[in-house]
Amino acid sequence: MSIAKRLLHGLVSILGASVIIFLISRLSGDPLALLLPADAPPDVIEQTRQHLGLDQPLVAQYLKFLGHALTGDFGNSYRWQEPALGLILDRLPATVELALAALAFSIAMAVPFGVLSAVHRGSWFDRFAKVFAMVGQAMPNFWVGLLLILFFAVQLNWLPAFGRESWSSLVLPAIALGWYPVAAQTRIVRSAMLDVLDSDYIRMGRAMGLPERVLVWKYALRNAAIPLVTILGVYFAAMLGGAFVVEVIFAWPGVGRTVVEAVFARDFPVVQAGVMLTSVLFVLSNLLVDLSYSLIDPRIRHG
Amino acid sequence: MSHADIATARASTDAVRGAPMLDVRNLTTHLTLRRGVVRAVDGVDLHVHEGETLGVVGESGSGKSMTILSILRLLPRQTGARIGGSIVLDGQDLLQVSEKTMSEVYRGRKIAMISQDPLTSLNPVFTIGDQVGAPLRHHGIARGEAARRRVVEVLDSVRIPSPDARLNDYPHQFSGGMRQRVVTGMAIASAPRLLVADEPTSALDVTIQVQMMALFRKIQAQTGVGIILITHDLGVAASICHRVAVMYAGRIVETADVRTLYKRPAHPYTQALLNSIPHFGQKKERLFAIQGSPPSLIDPPAGCRFAARCPHRKPLCDDAYPPEVELESGHRVACWLASGT
Amino acid sequence: MADLTAAKTASAADSAIAGAPLRRRGAIAWGTLPWFALLVFPVLIVCALGGELLLPHDPNALDLGIAFLPPAWLDGGNWAYPLGTDNMGRDLLTRIMAGTRISLVVALYAILISGGIGTAAGMLAGYFGGRLDALIMRLVDIQMSIPSLALALVLAAVLGPGFETVVLVIVITYWTWYARIVRGEVMSLKQRDYVALARVAGCGTPTIFRRHLLPNLLNTLLVLATLQVGQVIIFEASLSFLGLGIQQPDVSWGLMLADARNYITNAWWAITMPGLAIMATCLASNLLGDWLRDRFDPKRRQL
Repeated sequence: MSIAKRLLHGLVSILGASVIIFLISRLSGDPLALLLPADAPPDVIEQTRQHLGLDQPLVAQYLKFLGHALTGDFGNSYRWQEPALGLILDRLPATVELALAALAFSIAMAVPFGVLSAVHRGSWFDRFAKVFAMVGQAMPNFWVGLLLILFFAVQLNWLPAFGRESWSSLVLPAIALGWYPVAAQTRIVRSAMLDVLDSDYIRMGRAMGLPERVLVWKYALRNAAIPLVTILGVYFAAMLGGAFVVEVIFAWPGVGRTVVEAVFARDFPVVQAGVMLTSVLFVLSNLLVDLSYSLIDPRIRHG
Repeated sequence: MSHADIATARASTDAVRGAPMLDVRNLTTHLTLRRGVVRAVDGVDLHVHEGETLGVVGESGSGKSMTILSILRLLPRQTGARIGGSIVLDGQDLLQVSEKTMSEVYRGRKIAMISQDPLTSLNPVFTIGDQVGAPLRHHGIARGEAARRRVVEVLDSVRIPSPDARLNDYPHQFSGGMRQRVVTGMAIASAPRLLVADEPTSALDVTIQVQMMALFRKIQAQTGVGIILITHDLGVAASICHRVAVMYAGRIVETADVRTLYKRPAHPYTQALLNSIPHFGQKKERLFAIQGSPPSLIDPPAGCRFAARCPHRKPLCDDAYPPEVELESGHRVACWLASGT
Repeated sequence: MADLTAAKTASAADSAIAGAPLRRRGAIAWGTLPWFALLVFPVLIVCALGGELLLPHDPNALDLGIAFLPPAWLDGGNWAYPLGTDNMGRDLLTRIMAGTRISLVVALYAILISGGIGTAAGMLAGYFGGRLDALIMRLVDIQMSIPSLALALVLAAVLGPGFETVVLVIVITYWTWYARIVRGEVMSLKQRDYVALARVAGCGTPTIFRRHLLPNLLNTLLVLATLQVGQVIIFEASLSFLGLGIQQPDVSWGLMLADARNYITNAWWAITMPGLAIMATCLASNLLGDWLRDRFDPKRRQL
């Protein structure tokens, strides 16, 4: 599929998402009940209704919503009379930072585990890594977060458990968030390494007397990394999704936590803006995967 | 003739030509696989002098590649290989040397290898400049700018046009023939004493083959490197080999200098191979199929291994393995016919 | 995800009438059985079915006098409360057992409904192809462009928390799994001779679906359903943890973790035990699912 077609699909997905988000928030019942006191006179209610355009047919309301959304206008937060999107965008860097750190952590775990498992295939290390990965994949990320807090913050008091003050605040949340994909990523690296280690060019390298260490970590790894790197976008997207809960646990001031709080406060503009933005990023990250194939593999780059 | 007799006979030849650079005696390689112990190489003698090209000819499964891998000690761990005999290069028995020394001193430095498929011999995600320079860097021969210059020199000598400009190119940007030349360059970059080429041209088309052979000849003339050329193609063997060894079922059945072998082949297997060629020098894609198939290497027959397919078979052939006899200087054959019974 | 090809060997003519038979695998290799899963699942099911009869205590009985009892094997512990008590003096083991029921019931509903919808959608898309296929797949893409937790948040915000919300959210999130995979399988099954022969013989589409496609999908569906148990439980736990899922007085492992978070410094066991239950269930589900997948298709066995 060409890039253009994929972009089009992405666009359709985003539009579809906006429809879903719009519909769901309209399901919540009459928003007027939230804005006006219960005993407001009927004509005030009617005026407000017209003013907000809530008397229009649903489709028209949606189009209006969409139109506004495209210009970045999601309305003002019900709680603080500020543009909802602005509030979300303020928090975005924190979430992106967390997602990237989590991704870095997962790769830092997966690559050594995967490479060593492949090099020492069938050994106790290989089996241990497999078990470790299986167990890791069965642990929900919020529980991992709680355990990390319990251990490192409460018992040992080494790392902070809340907020985003210093770089050390990033450590525990990043580990909690990045924990889950390690298993899958390790499998990918291991499988790719096994293939590459069996290749002619690695055998040729050995015949040329290159040290095994160099063969594995330089010449083999760069090839084996390709399948993983190309799908990093997928994992970044997954990190964005998982960030919601992790941010709540660690009181990390990101988009996720803001949306969750807004949900409880029934602050719909913020919820809409947050979910919409996350979806856009989600789709873009997945699109990036398709683009990255051509960037990373020199064979495809040159045609 | 026993090994001792052959040694004496050879010693007299050596007196004329000097001791061989590579002297392999009674090389055996047994692989421990699930189905049993495979005697892939079962008592091979061969030698190569400086500046000489030895061709090793045989069908697939005869043990040609195994012999080479044994010399380089590159057999994978999983095969549980046990190598016996002696492999003496410049006076040093390679089987007595540590793995570390093999890797640092011999592989890629004193002995270099070129394998069959140029399309997969080069790492696709590294530039050829990096790859050709790698043996230089890792054997401590040259680094940095000096290494770069040597790489350009080497690529030039293997006739890669504008090597300087192409250092940062990737393998897929080169044609198959050029890639094989790059691989050759990588092999000779550290000026090895012995070059081993495992079917270097079977994946290439005819015109490229001719070029490659010419290149080998040129390199040999310039550097005096000894070459072992493994091939199933008698035409290729004829074009650049000085001597040829014919291998069958893990053993060498006949060795001779190239003219003698083609004019007066003594072993029925060699004769059968040559019979597939209308004239000397004309190239054939594949060996014609001789009736039957090679014996099992797990449980080889006690007698001559070619007996089952040999038109001159006698009862003696099944009973005992024929000893090697020297028919004329440098022409040895293991066949009861030649032993004259 | 599982990418099974069900191999059928019956003669085409027979199967057009009788329905394509499933291939039977050979003897069981005892050494490779997923023992952990086979131990855990029966325990879970017994807990779930046993209901109040099995519970050692009342899960909601408050007794501040025995609050914060550590697990029985530690100092200050009490074997009447083997895993300790929480801040309200409620027995953890009891609550975990009570939570099992909710978790499994949620999983059951979610899997049946999402599996049903997803399979139907997948069959329609795969069998009829064309516009219908495009439409359904577009829906899947749109659905998947919103991170599942985000979507869950919005829905929960609108519908209010509770059991039904949780099931609905899970159904909406997971039907796409089934749809995609079933579609792929059906597309390949469609090519088989016995399907064509069935059409020629005049079998109506519903019959074909019922007798030819569905039996061949059972293996895949079983694997998916098994794997989904773990996912669903983690998802429900996440929602309940955030307060959008199961509510008091019902007991959910996620809810227990949310509570325990407040007094993490006082009772590490309250955080650990429910989490272990989640982990054990998810691990069992993954192990069993992987084993089933391998059993049904040895080509896919991971080395």
